[in-house]
Amino acid sequence: MNPTSAPNGEWRERSAESAERVSDYEYAAICQFLYTEAEALDNRDYEAWVELVSDDFTYLVPTPRTPDNPFSPHWDERALLIDESKWSLKAQWFRRFDKDVYEMAWGDNPPVRFRHMITNVRVRWLTVPSSLEVKSNVLLSGTRQSDLPKFLTAERTDTLRWIHGRLQLVRRWVVLDQVLIDFPQLRIIL
Amino acid sequence: MSVQEHVRRDRWADANLLEREIERVFSVSWQYLAHETEIPEPGDYVLRRMGRDQVIVARDEEGHIRVHLNTCRHRGVPLCRADSGNSSHFRCSYHGWTYANTGELRGVTFQRDVYGTDGIDKSQLALHSPAQVGSAHGLIFANWAEDAPSLDEYLGELDWYLAAVFDKYPEGLEVVGTPVRNVIRANWKTEGENLSGDGYHTMVTHASALELGLFATQKDLVKLSEELEPSFTGRTVTTRYGHSIRVQRLPLVLKGNHYFGYPEAMWPGFDERLDPAQQGMMSALSVAHGSIFPNMSFIENFKTNVDGPDLHARYIRITVRYPIDATSSEQLWFYLRPRGADAEWARLSHLAYLRTNGPSGLFELDDTENFVGISSASSGDVAKALPIVLDGGYHHTPTPASVGWPGDVVDGDRTERTIRNFHRRWGELMDTEANGGER
Repeated sequence: MNPTSAPNGEWRERSAESAERVSDYEYAAICQFLYTEAEALDNRDYEAWVELVSDDFTYLVPTPRTPDNPFSPHWDERALLIDESKWSLKAQWFRRFDKDVYEMAWGDNPPVRFRHMITNVRVRWLTVPSSLEVKSNVLLSGTRQSDLPKFLTAERTDTLRWIHGRLQLVRRWVVLDQVLIDFPQLRIIL
Repeated sequence: MSVQEHVRRDRWADANLLEREIERVFSVSWQYLAHETEIPEPGDYVLRRMGRDQVIVARDEEGHIRVHLNTCRHRGVPLCRADSGNSSHFRCSYHGWTYANTGELRGVTFQRDVYGTDGIDKSQLALHSPAQVGSAHGLIFANWAEDAPSLDEYLGELDWYLAAVFDKYPEGLEVVGTPVRNVIRANWKTEGENLSGDGYHTMVTHASALELGLFATQKDLVKLSEELEPSFTGRTVTTRYGHSIRVQRLPLVLKGNHYFGYPEAMWPGFDERLDPAQQGMMSALSVAHGSIFPNMSFIENFKTNVDGPDLHARYIRITVRYPIDATSSEQLWFYLRPRGADAEWARLSHLAYLRTNGPSGLFELDDTENFVGISSASSGDVAKALPIVLDGGYHHTPTPASVGWPGDVVDGDRTERTIRNFHRRWGELMDTEANGGER
């Protein structure tokens, strides 16, 4: 068994044939997309961020765990930490930052300061037309009020789609490394 | 009214008090460990804590539930290092002592070389286990104290409410997957106090959730019934040993039972398994949440518009808090699902949990800010000696006995009586006046 996280919950073999390389130009465009998206999150510019995701966007974080053998995944996808859609993120997460709600959105006021560090970007074409699997490593820092910052590391498996000459984020699946999670809040987009 | 309760704030921040809690509260109280469906097969185990001690909760080869300290009797190395698994035996990584999952020491390596021709008396060296282990409605508890009351007696009148929440499903209820575990920078008591029955904080702490449509409002309610009552009504129940529950009803005028938040196909099953008074509690339920002293809480909750307009569902959640130090704790989060439930409803119920009272949920985000704040502010040298106010709800009137709810029941849930009940028990065990604070 290959413990590589699969966006659709299936095990996938990674082989030279299936990992068709993208061009350097496309690779650069994808990295730029990831950095732009992270910048929108770090700046809490959610209006800009929702423009980068598709209407059928899903965001899933399974529950991290320590399994009883090294060949089992270190996460459990029956139990989730986060399961959100574009609708729920807009209606239940970002709406909290609107002027008429913000004053009573205690957990987000003052907001935790997030900083995304994104590295090890790996790209391959999926069999679905115009769709790419983009894996990346993320280090997220979160700083609440005057507290010292806390850190999380994770592997992201994104599905990106080229549509009308632009990239869109269609799916994000994030596997956390920390099992006993110590972070200012768990309402996070990694 | 003049303030009568004088609980000092150091209860949420003092390191010495935590040591005393470990000695006097966790050593004699039944503590929730796991749900039976987490370890369905012989050999299954999960790791949990009792106070600050890690324990293995296992199902032995004969199907009995066993609880052992996760430490070898030889030199103290933990035997299980995964969060969960399946094994008939546990072998220590240091010198290879091997235990059956009953706790019995079965094998000592190089025994004659090390301990002489007679070997070592293995019968004295079984894994250390709590004096009592018990379960009720699928909930597994353990207690270190031999002379503690039985689990039945301990749960007492709360048991009837636990049956209504956990035991109304003809095919049973199961924990879904691995619990999320996180560190909360708050004293271990804070969230349990809130969940014990604080119906007072809701409209302020969760004001944004109301604005975002996650609570039933007029708009939702008129679609559930033609006739509405003037407002939500709630009751709180306190029982012996520090337990309590709050039950809030949707303000609907209804004929017959309506278990909103579940598919109608499930309703007859509830009618069958609940007595008439329990049916009254569960029909048109807005929320029922309670705490079992000292550190376990449960909630069954009807949440609205969780995945789009008119998509409502109930969910059931258990949380447990283990102390790390006076101002931080580890919290475990369990989502429970009725077996055999309709798949689309099950999806919605899971979302109703995750998006409101799950670890990343909107309600938790705002609640946690309060718990962290209490713990941090109570660490102050002047602040720690100040009392908090816990006088809410003294004037609430007892619920008529004809309603048929066990325990000490009052009509009214904007109250502090459940928290007083918690601290009364805490005070008994800590040998501190519940409202005195002198020690």
